[in-house]
Amino acid sequence: MRYRVAHVMMDLALAVLVAGCGESAPPAAPAAGPLRILSLTPNITEILFAMGLGDKVVGRSTYCTYPPEAAALPAVGDTLKINLERVIALRPTIAFVITKRPDTARTLDGMGIRTVTLRSDKMEELLASIDVIGRETLSPGAARALADRLRADLDAVRRRVAGLARPKVLFAFPMTVGSPQMMVAGRGTFVDELLKVAGGENAYPDAADWPTVTPPKVIAMAPQVVIVNPVGEDAAPDRLEAIRRAWAHWTSVPAVADGRVVILTEPYLTIPGPRVGLAAERLADVIHPEAARPAAPAERGDAAKAGWQAHAAVYDCRLQIVDFMRARRFRARRGSGGLSRHFACPAAPAAGSNRRFRGGLAYNPQFEDRP
Amino acid sequence: MTPRPLTAGRYVLAILLWLAAWIVVSAGAVLLGAENVWAWDSWDKVRDVLGLRLYAVLAASVVGAALALTGLALQALLRNPLADPFVLGVSGGASLGVILASIWLTALAAPLFGFLGALATIAVVYAVAQRRGRLEPYTLLLSGVIVNAFYAAAIMLTTALAGPERRGDIAYWMMGSITTFDPQWKVVGIVGGLAVAAAAFFAFLAKGFNLVAVGEDTAGALGVPVERLRVATFVTASLVTGASVALVGPIGFVGLISPHLLRMALGPDHRRLVPASFFFGAILLVVADLATRLMEGISGQTPPVGVLTAMAGGPFFIYLLRKRWRRSAGMC
Amino acid sequence: MAQVGGNVLAAATAAGPYLEVRDVEFAYPGGPRVLQGLSLAVERGRLACLLGPNGSGKSTLLRILVGLLAPSKGEVRLAGVRLADYPRGALARRVAYVPQETLAAVGFTVLETVLMGRSPHTGALGFESARDWYTAREALRQTDAEALSDRSLEELSGGERQRVIIARALAQEPDVMLLDEPTSFLDIRHQHAIYGLLRRLVKERELTVVCVSHDLNLAAAYADDLVLVAHGRVAAAGKPDEVIRPEVLSPVYETPVEVRRDEATGRPYLLPRPPG
Repeated sequence: MRYRVAHVMMDLALAVLVAGCGESAPPAAPAAGPLRILSLTPNITEILFAMGLGDKVVGRSTYCTYPPEAAALPAVGDTLKINLERVIALRPTIAFVITKRPDTARTLDGMGIRTVTLRSDKMEELLASIDVIGRETLSPGAARALADRLRADLDAVRRRVAGLARPKVLFAFPMTVGSPQMMVAGRGTFVDELLKVAGGENAYPDAADWPTVTPPKVIAMAPQVVIVNPVGEDAAPDRLEAIRRAWAHWTSVPAVADGRVVILTEPYLTIPGPRVGLAAERLADVIHPEAARPAAPAERGDAAKAGWQAHAAVYDCRLQIVDFMRARRFRARRGSGGLSRHFACPAAPAAGSNRRFRGGLAYNPQFEDRP
Repeated sequence: MTPRPLTAGRYVLAILLWLAAWIVVSAGAVLLGAENVWAWDSWDKVRDVLGLRLYAVLAASVVGAALALTGLALQALLRNPLADPFVLGVSGGASLGVILASIWLTALAAPLFGFLGALATIAVVYAVAQRRGRLEPYTLLLSGVIVNAFYAAAIMLTTALAGPERRGDIAYWMMGSITTFDPQWKVVGIVGGLAVAAAAFFAFLAKGFNLVAVGEDTAGALGVPVERLRVATFVTASLVTGASVALVGPIGFVGLISPHLLRMALGPDHRRLVPASFFFGAILLVVADLATRLMEGISGQTPPVGVLTAMAGGPFFIYLLRKRWRRSAGMC
Repeated sequence: MAQVGGNVLAAATAAGPYLEVRDVEFAYPGGPRVLQGLSLAVERGRLACLLGPNGSGKSTLLRILVGLLAPSKGEVRLAGVRLADYPRGALARRVAYVPQETLAAVGFTVLETVLMGRSPHTGALGFESARDWYTAREALRQTDAEALSDRSLEELSGGERQRVIIARALAQEPDVMLLDEPTSFLDIRHQHAIYGLLRRLVKERELTVVCVSHDLNLAAAYADDLVLVAHGRVAAAGKPDEVIRPEVLSPVYETPVEVRRDEATGRPYLLPRPPG
């Protein structure tokens, strides 16, 4: 949600950055000596940790809460308001930031910290940014491995849904209380690309960043699948209930009539980072529930882990349902069948994949899909 | 204004005419909108959108009627033509109730807590404004100002402490918006019921309003229970206002300009003004809401209705005042 | 014979006094006592005038008689029934009140103002009948204000406004009229016209009128009974002859006066003789 804010609210004026690599720092060589990285954007933090550079990160922004190790790092504010004293105290040698505002980068530059401004509005930009990070931190190998993994993840999803008809999908944030408008992903956004990968077509017809739409517009668009993504406080059970109740009114929308309004509370769906694979998988679960997740993707090189992943996805989903129902225990009990539909739990993989799954799990942070 | 006796027949006729006007305007507001639904193929879609518009029209009607009525009643109660439904602090209480409920409790029960906030405010203002068992206009106004200031501060504090997601919500809600994603038909029904009950009640009090406007002693001598009238008006007006604010947030200016416009057309007689305010307030807000929906077609964004009423109401009010000044010498 | 102190008027008829005040005490909240044990009685069909220096409590007494104020001690009875026991509407149909000065910039016309006097008779929603209009117009005719019917109240002079307010009281068709200095802004013609009207109404309709007056001569000329109020008590009560006397008035007003008799009417009138 805050990432969305960072993207949407900021200036869309042409940045000083040239399209492509998007570096704002002068093209000098990366600094020598031990690396002390300051990361000011959540997805950059995730990228750094996924590349194995987590121990080199000394500071983060307030919104960088994933992975859990990052949350333990000191926070220095966000791109709109940086606590410069803390920054100085951390003595970073390099700072990564994604912002369209030049003054943040200039400030850090002025303090002698090499600041690299990156972009990740599109998949290509994300992959390019990973490259840049690899170069700047002298770990091009890790960068390449991560980029390759991401590409592979996305390709896996593409294969999963290949050949299937593309329904019209609307990806929305929950509507403001009392307002008739809500934000949806327009064409050309990162989420839009994920929707394409996951086998859907954006119901919103125009190229736009994150436009607001009113109910009549949604009715006119007639999406076949609606994905609502409340995160943080918006994911409280009573709010989810309010969202469901609100959407239940518009029965002329195909998604409502077919029961394909799905509430996903995963925050990584809108974060262009190492978890895009998970995001695409999750979206594919929802858009094409008929296409089960592959039980044994060969690239992973670990059939057991793959089966365990599939179980994890099902387990996670059902946990969400249980949580949801527990929170609503004061209301009349209903079967979870309908709720499964709303949460679009993937079909359980074939029997025999991994019986050791039940019980505690140790997630590899790279594959974890609950913060 | 040719003098004519106010008979039951004329009264009913006036009400029927106003009702007809409201029906015409509402029908227009349902059929018009930013989307050209008549070009759509699927009847289901059209039905959904019309249902949305019908909700907006009904909500606007009940809220507009409620606000206009309470504006009229409070101007009579306080003998002050600048009084509006929010001057006694009830809207602040309702707003705070809704905001706190939607942050810390459940979003579903927000209107209920808004109403409870309004009730609490009524009690507080009444307690503060009582002087030797009397509710005087002057002390009422003062208490209202104090209570309003307190609530403004409380809302600001809540906003500052809330997360960034909530801040936008709160700011938007405080502007007053009628069309919503989640139609609350039940609350509309409640507000409508309260508005009708208040209209009927004020219709019986209208005679008293006229007399109190002339003078407290005169009113008392002519059989008006002035103190009871004041308390009853205060409580009713606050209840109705609280319910409206709990439904759509604080929408300003309707309660202020509606009585003035009607007074300019119909004169100061509250027996005529009460039923007229009910329908005129409804029509006014329906038109304002329609305007915001039409603006969506032009600019792609629907401004909240409260913004429109404030921006349009102010200059219009000044224009009316100047016209009046020119006509009658210095009378307000 | 005038009597000093809290005594009832002599010659009470067998029916008993119509309007009776018994030992009434009153103080405004937080203030000193304005009325201290005041008693008086007015017969039906009489014009009584309350006289007295400023601050003696005349207006306060009048407001108590209307029912606007409640005495802290003592009681007021109208036709034998305590004022507090009358339902408000019933009282408003019997008692009309003309306050001293009413000016509220509200915008009502003269006719609308007089019609307000009909409100005790018009029912819950305030609908007017033809009879209401007739009565209002008649009242305006009687106060010589009919030509002002459609004018706005704020546009009138003080005197015209007073006539309108009196018309409003008349429109109430009351049994008792209480007037607080009804002629203070009127010219001589209208002063006498109003008092003449009051006398006529008293005679023809058996109206009971109590009015507060500053003008001793006017009161002496028209009133049946005079009540002199000083320091919250009745200093003297009786017919004009009994009250308009130097030995009665001078101590109360603290100024020397001389009393003559008007041969034409037989009524006394007084000439103040300011000291020095």
